[in-house]
Amino acid sequence: MAKKRKAKSKGKPGLGRRILGWTIKLGLVGLVLFAGLVIYLDAVVQEKFSGKRWAVPAQVFARPLELYAGQQLSRDDFVTELGALGYRTVSAARQPGQMAVSGSRVDVYTRGFQFFEGIEPAQRLSVGFSGNQVTSLSGGNDVVMARLEPLMIGGIYPAHNEDRILIRLDQAPPYLIEALIAVEDRDFFQHFGVSPKGIARAMYVNLTAGSVVQGGSTLTQQLVKNFFLTSDRSLVRKGTEAIMAVLLERHYPKEEILEAYLNEVFLGQDGRRAVHGFGLASQYYFAQPLHELELHQVALLVGMVKGPSLYNPRRRPERAKARRDLVIQMLAEQNMITPELAEQARAKPLDTSTRGSLADSSYPAFMDLVRRQLREDYRDEDLTSEGLRIFTSFDPLLQNKAEKAVETTLKRLGPADGEIELEGSMVVTGAQTGEVLALVGGRNPRFSGFNRALDASRPVGSLIKPAIYLTALEQPQKYSLVTLIDDSPITLDAEPGKTWSPQNYDRQSHGWVTLHHALSRSYNQAAVRLGVDLGVPQVLKTVERMGVPHRWPAYPSMLLGSGAMTPVQVADMYQTIANGGFNTPLRGIRNVLTAEGDPLHRYPFEVEQRFDSATIYLMQEAMTRVMTEGTGRSAYNQVPASIRLAGKTGTTNDLRDSWFAGFSDDLVAVAWIGRDDNGRTRLTGATGALQVWSAFMREAHPRSLSSQPPEGVVMAWIDRETGQGSDPSCPDTVQVPFRAGYQPLPGPGCRPLLDVEVVKDGGNKVLDVIRGWLR
Amino acid sequence: MKRTWLIMGCALLVAGCAGSGGSIPVVDSGRQVSSEDRHSGVGRQPQVQPSTPRDSGVVVMVPDDAGGSRAVESYPLDVQPPLQTGSGSVPGTGTQQPAPGGLQQDEQLDGPVLALLTTARQQESGGDLNGASASLERAMRIAPREPQVLYRLAQVRLAQGDAAQAEQLARRGLSYAGGRPTLQAGLWELVAEARERQGDAAGAAEARQRARVTL
Repeated sequence: MAKKRKAKSKGKPGLGRRILGWTIKLGLVGLVLFAGLVIYLDAVVQEKFSGKRWAVPAQVFARPLELYAGQQLSRDDFVTELGALGYRTVSAARQPGQMAVSGSRVDVYTRGFQFFEGIEPAQRLSVGFSGNQVTSLSGGNDVVMARLEPLMIGGIYPAHNEDRILIRLDQAPPYLIEALIAVEDRDFFQHFGVSPKGIARAMYVNLTAGSVVQGGSTLTQQLVKNFFLTSDRSLVRKGTEAIMAVLLERHYPKEEILEAYLNEVFLGQDGRRAVHGFGLASQYYFAQPLHELELHQVALLVGMVKGPSLYNPRRRPERAKARRDLVIQMLAEQNMITPELAEQARAKPLDTSTRGSLADSSYPAFMDLVRRQLREDYRDEDLTSEGLRIFTSFDPLLQNKAEKAVETTLKRLGPADGEIELEGSMVVTGAQTGEVLALVGGRNPRFSGFNRALDASRPVGSLIKPAIYLTALEQPQKYSLVTLIDDSPITLDAEPGKTWSPQNYDRQSHGWVTLHHALSRSYNQAAVRLGVDLGVPQVLKTVERMGVPHRWPAYPSMLLGSGAMTPVQVADMYQTIANGGFNTPLRGIRNVLTAEGDPLHRYPFEVEQRFDSATIYLMQEAMTRVMTEGTGRSAYNQVPASIRLAGKTGTTNDLRDSWFAGFSDDLVAVAWIGRDDNGRTRLTGATGALQVWSAFMREAHPRSLSSQPPEGVVMAWIDRETGQGSDPSCPDTVQVPFRAGYQPLPGPGCRPLLDVEVVKDGGNKVLDVIRGWLR
Repeated sequence: MKRTWLIMGCALLVAGCAGSGGSIPVVDSGRQVSSEDRHSGVGRQPQVQPSTPRDSGVVVMVPDDAGGSRAVESYPLDVQPPLQTGSGSVPGTGTQQPAPGGLQQDEQLDGPVLALLTTARQQESGGDLNGASASLERAMRIAPREPQVLYRLAQVRLAQGDAAQAEQLARRGLSYAGGRPTLQAGLWELVAEARERQGDAAGAAEARQRARVTL
């Protein structure tokens, strides 16, 4: 602006007068320009400050932990969850966010929370435990059930990665405002936006130093700087900032400016994400909501305003503590707190939480699933700016168990050929609800790259076999669990000019075996023969009905799982068996609230009956035999034998992929181990993925599968060898479920009379009987 | 709907179902959302307008003035409309309820599921079908095999206009309702209604036939 113009001397009027004239003209121009600038800035300030001030990313929450007598939950898991929620251990829980833990009970004062279907009050509860169960729940008013607030597991961020937990001025904890004003801007409530005192002091310092080293910024100016301007330190910017601060003060009350400041101030960097505002900082540094903070915590945050990285309590604890104590001292000096209180606060440790990051990057695999599901219904800008609150089915306790199972098992198995690291993945869903509870996308669960649970599509091997046997069992007039299947060698035409001769894993043929035996031992020849008899297209249609739209060609090799699926698709398929024949689309989101807490969207539970429940019961029965006498036996090295489980191993050609899919009454879990380069792992389903699955189930404390048959199933006694109807008085008889109306007729009993049956099995039995007579 | 209720009688413990005996306040910690301003954030204290106590037995605590040194706020807990059951009071634990009219001992619902069914009933009568649905799904997660929950969920879906899902949920209920003829009849009746809405008259007639047979 200040362009020096050399006036040409022409010897007309006096030089002084001419300079004065020019000065007046220039001054007028300057004034007009300045007025224009002010009007422009005023528009900027109002436009930004009156509209939506912040883009708030969607917040994603885990499932809230339900509490009621009879709930499956161990005391340790409960305390883990409370810890993750930032509850503090005290001797007696007197306010929200506190817990008192003893041997078999936990007293907790919950924080209130607003859910889709209503508000959960903050309340004091006493929860009694025995083993893995809640045995009692007591509190005020005969409480029957309660919920903890849900853990926030992440946000959905726009590209610039800003995050906020907005707070209102009245949600500020005691001393926060006082400390902020004492430290940053003593005459905040007196000045008009700029503090001439502060500016004069800063100018003096800067002039003597020869550069801009100090700012006499008021809180209002700091807000303006953060809000409207870049952070370069030029005089022009300083001037603009001052004008805007004055304008802001003219339009808005002090309280509103202060509230905006509380939500805007920069308080740290979490990886790629800036931590803005005291609400988020409180979660980030203490894992607690802001209003719960005590004086020493408040002082730490206020001290950080000056330099968040300089005074980062996690990286520079000594420096942060010194700064914190200084803030406490200033409060005492200005008589805002008593010397005793200051003394107590200074004696306290920093008290920051151990978790170094908010859950943003903690569960990338599940967050990925949430994002994909949301994209179907929401635009990206809504997700990253509207502050939506998304409630999911994610279970952090089960997630940690799944992660541990994958990590420890892979470590134990060691690298495959050529020192190539094995990779693994896991999906856990609620057996009756179809909700995704846990998702592990790789051996490093914090890594947000390739999400194998959703994207690694691999041949499933023998995991496909339940579809073959289910197709058979749907024809009760032809097939039951004890129908004999031929496990002899078979050769089929494959592509033109080629034949295909599947082999059993043990390279043996086993002759005629019962249907359930063929499944539990995973015999390939029997499965292929049965599948060919039923028709490959029929079997593939069954796979689709189980919930997997595959588009596979109807080659016989599909019967041994040459078709590929992702772990999540496998979970969907097995879910249908676990769920009594009802298919539910797997989902991770329950509902969505607006930032104001108004219900916005629900993802309701949906089911569709695809198979009849009696047939599915027989299928489950066959799959429990995989666990008790077949390829899944080793699970019971880790899980108590009293827990009825069902599942199936899967191994692909040349031992490249190792699979296990199985379920209890309440959980479906799928585990996969393989290599990203699709190389050999040297693992079968049983030696690899089953180990992961069992390690998970050992910790998850699943509910035993119900053996209660549904309507349409009857039990009958049959001969174990022949599958013919028999009688409980005979040796070697077992009770087997059948579709009602298709059970074999009972055989003659085996009272120790003349028994024609004994001739059946040759000499040994005859001799036994004769010995019996001689006795 | 009406016909169903006649058949069901008191098979479902719901408010307004006539019976005898004392009234029991069952407390469920969910409540209707007031239209007070709300903010985001885990652990924020929801502001609730103090509601007027419905009976002298309820203590209503008024939220603390903000800015005070107490970060604790309490909310009035809703007291459910009295449930009519046989006798006694609802224990705070998940023990079995005393038998109300028409239910076998093994058909009793325990604490949390009963409380949620009651909440859902209130939400439904207040016109909040989404809330009722969410509460019932919450109950279903606690007791996935309880056909009474599925029955109610199917009813709400029907009221929401999703007849296909109502039928599926009722059928799911039927797969768990073995040996409970009253409930089976009610579920078949629901299937019939859902099929009617889907324009399947023959299917509806067949389901009605099944309903009559089970009773």
